[in-house]
Amino acid sequence: MVLAGLVVLGWRHELRSGASPSAPPIVSQRSEPRALSAEEERYAAALWEIHREVTPSAVAMSFAGIIHETGSHDKDQLERKISPVATFFLDAERRVRALGVPPALSQVHNQYVEAMVLYREASNDMLAYAKDGERQHLIDAHDMSITASQAILRAGEVLWPGQYKPH
Amino acid sequence: MTRLGRKLQLFASFLAVSALLAVFGGAVAQAQAPVCSVWLIESSRFMKVPFGAFMPDRAFVPGSTNPNNNIPTVDLPVNIGVIKCGSELILYDTGWKQQDYLKMTGSEHWAPIGEQLKVLGFNAADVTKVVIGHAHWDHAGQLSDLPNAVLYVQKQELAAIEWALNYPEKHIRAINSDPGGCNRTPACGYMPLTMEEVYGKVLKGKAVVVDGELQIAPGVVIHPAYRAHTAGSQLLEVPTSIGKLVFGSDAFSSYEAIRDWMVANVQQTDSVQQFLAYERCYKITGGYENCIAAHEPLTYTEKYPITKNSWVALNGGRMAEIALAPGEKSRKP
Repeated sequence: MVLAGLVVLGWRHELRSGASPSAPPIVSQRSEPRALSAEEERYAAALWEIHREVTPSAVAMSFAGIIHETGSHDKDQLERKISPVATFFLDAERRVRALGVPPALSQVHNQYVEAMVLYREASNDMLAYAKDGERQHLIDAHDMSITASQAILRAGEVLWPGQYKPH
Repeated sequence: MTRLGRKLQLFASFLAVSALLAVFGGAVAQAQAPVCSVWLIESSRFMKVPFGAFMPDRAFVPGSTNPNNNIPTVDLPVNIGVIKCGSELILYDTGWKQQDYLKMTGSEHWAPIGEQLKVLGFNAADVTKVVIGHAHWDHAGQLSDLPNAVLYVQKQELAAIEWALNYPEKHIRAINSDPGGCNRTPACGYMPLTMEEVYGKVLKGKAVVVDGELQIAPGVVIHPAYRAHTAGSQLLEVPTSIGKLVFGSDAFSSYEAIRDWMVANVQQTDSVQQFLAYERCYKITGGYENCIAAHEPLTYTEKYPITKNSWVALNGGRMAEIALAPGEKSRKP
């Protein structure tokens, strides 16, 4: 919070005082986020409660694959790691679909639902690999996860601008 | 000649031969020593970041005339090292993935890595190796755009992320704990798209999980810098015609911080280990001038001398030619 606050204060100060001494002349290309209405803010806050668990679950799915490929190649272990993730995304999809959606955010909402579907299908594909050993399942799962992750970034750009900070 | 005299003569001859071998052998070794060419490209630029958020010891104090405290904000480049050693084309860090994402972060001047490499006369497919200083999203993006590159990542980096993901307390486990950011929690900075790109390299059999130090090309050495920014941070030593360079990613976030012994860009950072990483660069290169920082605001200017041979390239992003191997042509327009 302190860092986030400093960033915001810094940007505001900069708007008043002009460029910093070390900054070269630049042309701004950044599009400012649209302010959300109160109803939209409520939707964003409700979705955030799901989103905050979606991100570590998505990363956990990648990590299960990384550990499998670089470690033991133990399919049972992979299944044990992915099963709860698959259950989570099934539930997350249901919870997202149940949210009341302000009309102006229907496209964002649909994008997020689609991401949950893709993550769920990806986790099911990884479970299918654990059963039959067919590597195409892993490749398909990876492709779907990439698409889903891009979708939640695009939704996040509208709902939670600034959710990631300089690292 | 006495026996003692013959022995002395023999010993003198031995010394003379040894001296000749030392002189000519050394010259041969020097001529054959591997030397790489190095460029720096600005993947993107974080705009107007409060200086104190980047370097606590440089926090802005209104009205202060102290040069350490009179700059309110800085623009932070996201630097990528391009290293050509013989037939190897190595990247150190890979910047960010996509434009959509940048809009949320106050970042500008991004251009795709493939297009930036073309400016230098290379293709994305030419890249043979990628060493990521750590796996945060602004340093390990665009991996899928480098189809032939083998990724090098520290084992400790992956282990720490997995540990965080499995931690029971949700704020410690979270990639983002709040919409405003994740405030340096253990998994903060490892967003899904980036980790899927790392997994993509693993899945294609194009990843090496490094456990400690590793030479990846003649004279090009990965040095672990555990907890200097993240659990598995790693430096890269590179031999060049101007001496050894050490790339540090966010363990070396700021050139001024290395010079002045200040912490910078504290994330999952142990400040003691960051100082020890600085010391590693001093020991390898003989000072601080050849330490290559990831986010130094003075990059591409005279005030960070090794990067001063610079120009503006795609979308306002900058590039610098740092060192050329014998026979290597300049890529500067």
